[in-house]
Amino acid sequence: MMVPFLSLLNREIRRFLRVIVQTIVTPLVSSCLYLFIFGVSLGDKVQINAGYTYLAFLIPGLMMMTLINNSFQNSSSSIVTSKFTGELEDLRVVPLSSQAILWALGFGAVVRGTFVATITFLVGSIFFYFQKGFVLGVAHPFELIFFMIFSGLVFGFLGLAAAFWAKSFDQLGAVNAFILLPLTYLGGVFISIEHLHPILQIFTRMNPLFYIINGARHAVIGVSDVDIGTSIAVVSFSVFVFYWVALWSLRKGSFARWS
Amino acid sequence: MKPCISPNRVAEIACRFSEFKSVNPLPLKVENVCKTYTVKNGSLVHAVKDVSLEIHPGEILGLLGPNGAGKTTVISMITSLESIDQGEIQVFGHSLKTATLKAKQKLGVVPQEIVSHGFFSLKEVLTFHSGYYGIWNNQDRIQFLLKKLGLDSHQNKMVKQLSGGMKRRFMIAKALLHKPGLILLDEPTAGVDIQLRTSMWEFVKELRKEGVAILLTTHYLAEAEELCDRVAIIDKGKIKFQGPTGNIIRELTRKKFEVELKSAYTGADLSGLAKASSGHIISVEMKSNKLFAVVDSQLSLGDFLFHLNLQLADIMDIKTQEGNLEDAFLAVLEGKNKSPQAAL
Repeated sequence: MMVPFLSLLNREIRRFLRVIVQTIVTPLVSSCLYLFIFGVSLGDKVQINAGYTYLAFLIPGLMMMTLINNSFQNSSSSIVTSKFTGELEDLRVVPLSSQAILWALGFGAVVRGTFVATITFLVGSIFFYFQKGFVLGVAHPFELIFFMIFSGLVFGFLGLAAAFWAKSFDQLGAVNAFILLPLTYLGGVFISIEHLHPILQIFTRMNPLFYIINGARHAVIGVSDVDIGTSIAVVSFSVFVFYWVALWSLRKGSFARWS
Repeated sequence: MKPCISPNRVAEIACRFSEFKSVNPLPLKVENVCKTYTVKNGSLVHAVKDVSLEIHPGEILGLLGPNGAGKTTVISMITSLESIDQGEIQVFGHSLKTATLKAKQKLGVVPQEIVSHGFFSLKEVLTFHSGYYGIWNNQDRIQFLLKKLGLDSHQNKMVKQLSGGMKRRFMIAKALLHKPGLILLDEPTAGVDIQLRTSMWEFVKELRKEGVAILLTTHYLAEAEELCDRVAIIDKGKIKFQGPTGNIIRELTRKKFEVELKSAYTGADLSGLAKASSGHIISVEMKSNKLFAVVDSQLSLGDFLFHLNLQLADIMDIKTQEGNLEDAFLAVLEGKNKSPQAAL
């Protein structure tokens, strides 16, 4: 039962490693630019609560932003590319259960997201070391592992759901541009919720990414805009919801080959 | 007169046969399958209506039909790419609706369109594919198939680097990784050169010898005639004819005889021959000292000559032209067959 799942997971990991410049290096370059411009160059000018620097505040947020984007990109691009090459029809023909397909592609997304997020953290730590003279530690390592895996799964499943319905690359791009990107930037990556207008605060609290980013921030620097228990509950519930959305999309969406 | 076999014995044999069938279910059993699509204006299109097929072990069934007849829809339902609206499909006794994974485990599919596998080498794709069938280490089988299909020297190449013909062979290797008992070949030689086509058909014959059941769709009717034990002709979503390949040709085609005589024919009245032969001779005409006849495929040359009261000494040369599957196929499409399940 595990062999089909592990084979598909193996294929997924090798797939993104085959195009490492596109899947790993490009997102890392943009993360490093964010860290350098916002964290290092502008960081001293941004006022936040006492006890930690803006760079330390920014690193977990950027980590999660990178993880979310890469998890979504990995699973969605895997499906749309397969629609283009005809490999998706292959997956339908072989004796792989819907569950095995979803979990293998979901964990493939987790692996890529975690990989890029971990390197983002290491690069951020180097900037932090040069800025402050000491190493940025992880306050709650198990919490961080939990948020990385579960958040990767949430956005891996979301990517799958979007890709199963997409009839062109444009449609998938629209999901990314009009849903994922605004939610990410308004989820508290760059600023604390207390700096937002009260009305925006209400919207931010309805955004699941706010809980993911603050959960990771609590895991790394030990502070958060929201209770850690609430963050864990929201992320766990999101995995459950998006798994079922992806499963429904897999069963009802299109496997047809794009010509 | 005492029957040579008693009724009890008949019942016993029938019982054993039904037991055999339940222990050794058919590789493929399609029963009254229907598929309907809703088109943009809201009306329903019946792509497949009440299609029933059976394939036995070691048998090649040719599913033939013009473009848009419903062949690909039937194949898509067997491979789970399309849902089944009505009816039932069983692969080795496993229902595609209730035991999908078990059914797929016994099935190998060579699709019509080439799958390009942009990121991986042949060996990698075959390794992943073996895994999908639950086989973790399948290197022996992979190497055997690559060698058998002449791809062993290309195994580390990317699939996208292969020529069209090699990609076709690679898709056959992929379908055979798990030693399936039933293979679906959907236009496997479309766009393939004659040399490769011949070698692929030889390979298909070998599979048949090994007891593999094969469902084949092809537009090359001459090849279908040579390969298929039985054919099913589908048109507008319905099976119009199903039966042994020889039977369909015999029943639905005509033979042509060209008899060159030493001198002009002076025997029987040619216009009355059709009646005299009970309709077996359809037409005969004389041009100088040659007779041109169209007869039904069941009439032998000897019988024809007998009807004309000709002796071998009167004849200089005889040419015969048998009917073929293409003629039978066209006859079915023109509605000349009598029964959809003829001569099963």
